[in-house]
Amino acid sequence: MRMTLRRTLATMTPVLLALAMAGATTGPAAAFKLGMAVGGDTCCDWMKAQGDVAAALAKQRGWDYMELSNNADAATATKNADLFIQGKVDAVIEFNGQPSVNPVLAAKFAAAKIPVVTYDISQKGFYFVGIDNLAAGIAGGQALGEIAKAKWNCQPDLVLSSEGAGAGIVNTWRTGGMRTGLQKVCPDIPADKYISFEGNGQAVVSLPAARDVLAAHPDAKKILVVGLNDGGVLGALQAAEQLGRADDIIGWGQDGSFITGNNVDPHLAGSVFYFLEGYAVYAMRDVIDKIAAGSPPAVKDDAGDPASRVQPCPVSAAEAAKIPGTADRVAALLKAPAGTTEYDLFCPKKS
Amino acid sequence: MTVETSTTNTSGFDRQRLRDLATGSVTSIAVTLIAVIVVGLTWIGPNFLQASNITIIGTFVAVPMLVAAFAGFALLGGVVDLSIGSMVGFSSCLCATLLGWGWPLGAAIPVTLVACVAFGAVNATAVVIFGADTIAATLGMLVALRGVCYLMAQPSGSLAAFDANFYAFTNLTVGPLPLLFVIALVVIIIAAFIVTRTRLGRHVQAAGGDDRAATRAGISVTRVRFGALLLSALGAGIGGVLYVGQLGSASNLTGTGLEFQVYAAMMIGGYSILRGGVGNPIGAALGLLVVAGTSNILDVQAISPYFTNIIVGLLLLAAVLLDRLRGGDAYE
Amino acid sequence: MTDATTMAQSASMKQPEGLRTKLPSGWGTAATVAAAWIVLIVASGIHRPDFLSHQTVLAVSFTMAIVGILAVAQALVGMSGAILDLSQPTALILSAAVVAWLLERGVPVPVVAIAGILVGAAWGLANATIIVFGKLNPIIVTLATNFIGGAVMFLIFQNAQAPLKSGFSDFGRTYFLGLPNIWWPMVALVLLAGYLVPRTRYGRHMIAVGGNRFAAQARGISLRKTRFAVFGISGAIVGAAGILFAASNGPFAPAVGSTYQLPVIAGVILAGVSLAGGRGSIWLILLSVGFLSTVPTSLVFFGFSSNWQAVFQGLILIVAVAIDGFRAKRLQR
Repeated sequence: MRMTLRRTLATMTPVLLALAMAGATTGPAAAFKLGMAVGGDTCCDWMKAQGDVAAALAKQRGWDYMELSNNADAATATKNADLFIQGKVDAVIEFNGQPSVNPVLAAKFAAAKIPVVTYDISQKGFYFVGIDNLAAGIAGGQALGEIAKAKWNCQPDLVLSSEGAGAGIVNTWRTGGMRTGLQKVCPDIPADKYISFEGNGQAVVSLPAARDVLAAHPDAKKILVVGLNDGGVLGALQAAEQLGRADDIIGWGQDGSFITGNNVDPHLAGSVFYFLEGYAVYAMRDVIDKIAAGSPPAVKDDAGDPASRVQPCPVSAAEAAKIPGTADRVAALLKAPAGTTEYDLFCPKKS
Repeated sequence: MTVETSTTNTSGFDRQRLRDLATGSVTSIAVTLIAVIVVGLTWIGPNFLQASNITIIGTFVAVPMLVAAFAGFALLGGVVDLSIGSMVGFSSCLCATLLGWGWPLGAAIPVTLVACVAFGAVNATAVVIFGADTIAATLGMLVALRGVCYLMAQPSGSLAAFDANFYAFTNLTVGPLPLLFVIALVVIIIAAFIVTRTRLGRHVQAAGGDDRAATRAGISVTRVRFGALLLSALGAGIGGVLYVGQLGSASNLTGTGLEFQVYAAMMIGGYSILRGGVGNPIGAALGLLVVAGTSNILDVQAISPYFTNIIVGLLLLAAVLLDRLRGGDAYE
Repeated sequence: MTDATTMAQSASMKQPEGLRTKLPSGWGTAATVAAAWIVLIVASGIHRPDFLSHQTVLAVSFTMAIVGILAVAQALVGMSGAILDLSQPTALILSAAVVAWLLERGVPVPVVAIAGILVGAAWGLANATIIVFGKLNPIIVTLATNFIGGAVMFLIFQNAQAPLKSGFSDFGRTYFLGLPNIWWPMVALVLLAGYLVPRTRYGRHMIAVGGNRFAAQARGISLRKTRFAVFGISGAIVGAAGILFAASNGPFAPAVGSTYQLPVIAGVILAGVSLAGGRGSIWLILLSVGFLSTVPTSLVFFGFSSNWQAVFQGLILIVAVAIDGFRAKRLQR
């Protein structure tokens, strides 16, 4: 067998060399090259859509585009950074769901002098494009609180939090922020009424976890639900429906994934749209177009003072009924004049 | 050379036959790797083998390769350790936590490794002493350790642990090859040497191939498998520590899916999940390189990342088919 | 008791004296798991008397429903010697997505149900084709097809859901005789499969092949046909699980089937199904899946956070299989 290996190598080497020499190509002066690292978590359609929108906008501008997936993995994010640097991109958009490794990425990109736009998760040295997740969380919590105040005089029996610890700090901001917002409107809800469970930001995972929590609180009738996103909240709503406890349950979501269309859970009172898939419009308009034109803007890397601020759009279920789904939104966005954001196009009440 | 599967190996452990077997499977995966390199060179050009690209590939496979070298002993010995991914995560989180508490590296690393081996001992006790099913027991450890990771990484999900020296060390390169890759390769070669040429290696193969024949021949299958599971945990522990160096941090998701990456690579490299006694660490290393090389080609060519998974999956099937055609494990 | 355990003995011809020592082992596993379950329930009930309530029963049985059906499918694969079908997550979601898609277009439920089952069966047969004609190990084949199928599905859709305001979804959240509608098909399937496997020709062939395929082949059993039958039927069962999954779950993404993988494998192993083939009792799945489905609920009642629940779930599984292994070992001595 070893003979065969040696023989194989002997025959392949000249072939390899020939191919190596034949494959050498040099292209013309390169167009502006944009790299994008999508989040890669298969939970959410907007992660894929973020890449699709960036690709379309880059194509409109005649740019080269290189898309990689971070696969929700820190080692992959690091590898992708090296690939972008090797691929000589002129700018990078990062959606890195594993921000623990952001300092390493920042060091690499800084050494290669490649400007980076980061969506929603801040990193020193990266242009921040996105929402203030904490503010969005608080807005949602306050909206839910107003409902609780009107209906139950701020006296729910239980406040469920569907956490998604895999989302790291974003979970702390959004889910924790919703609790903060709720507490602002209803400060007298006792602490032991707040129960958290791990729902991984997905309805299918949230559902059994919430079932168990509801079973463990059999006397709770008036229930509020907050969570990392619509999916996480929905799981809890469905759990209540399955246990026959859905008469007085109200949930408020985040990210608006499941509040459009005609299949909306009746107990989802509202959500907060960020129109995540359309972030690229902000990134291009406020940062990358300027870099491509040769005059990069000052680096603003803080969520409080961002390079480009995306406005969250809290909506009630009734208002959300007029908003189209992700695919239709993307189509409309790409046909709209340059610089128009989804907030402009779709948010029912603008502040 | 065809290999019979679940019937007992009546000749016990025939040294020559086993060595041929191991080499045989290495040949087939080596051919696959050469095919990948050819495709890369044809499609991308000589840039496929440029220094920076080799560094990228090498950096990515270094830790999985190291983990595979150690986990291979368990597979060889007839036990599967499915908890290696979570063990890597646990090791990363523990090391990062200790570093965060101000512990020096020289203290954090040994303590982390001891903790990992302790959990490995739990696996080993359950599987070897008590006779628990190896897949179920290590699955339980996978779930448990992942929960521990989540606990340790609370509340933000990540643990910053940037040690400048450690980072510099893990990112050193020897020419185009990352130092970690070279180290992992050396470990693989040492492991391969142990497996194919030492008595210990023969004992492990025997224990995995036919534990009854091995026991009759005086080999303590219990001790072999216990040690193999400890080794597997140690390897995962080392991998986790190296990740902290490479990535300057740990998160509650570190190591998720690593067991799939490692075992898929090992299977196309000639190991068998439910049959011990076959496999060569070099096959595992080549398997990892095949998958990483293919992914790299697709990444460099900016193929949509969603197609990458499809192609890698097809590649797995093709590689196993190739291995089977050259006379490997035929499943009837 | 003519269950699969005894059938394996006559098929394998390895241990002709095994009847008396092996027969109790099926019971032994049942006793171990049942005892563990009872201990868990009693301990939880003592800690919190309101554990013993209809709500808890509902919570546990909803979880049992899907896992139980998938476990039956996995058990068939394991008992036939094909070790594990790692592509169940993809097949489950594939079937559920087709069901949701058809329901959206107003296709009547009975047709949709048949479609779901057929989709599952087709998936299983596709796997079997690769396994049989490629002569490849089922673990690596199903690992690869799971990966590929999931990636292809993600390109086509990122989320799917059955229409909420439909009889179908109502079915998924209402009860029959106090237990979830979706729980009863699971029990029926377990009882039926457990009854049929040792009593039908196909079932006995399957176990024979799993126990010792060379002996089975020598007896004239077609390995090829058996493999196709096993994967086809197992796939059809997963398809059925997909229907119930779509009825009782909200929006699901292509990859989310993987949450069932570990509980199903654990349930199958704890039911005494040997992944090497030829041994196992399907009826025990009711016990093992029941026990494993009760653990998370109990842990919540004990006040553990989600993260601690994972830790204890893992440890409980290790302890459970360790005890089971120890008992089996002692019997062999």
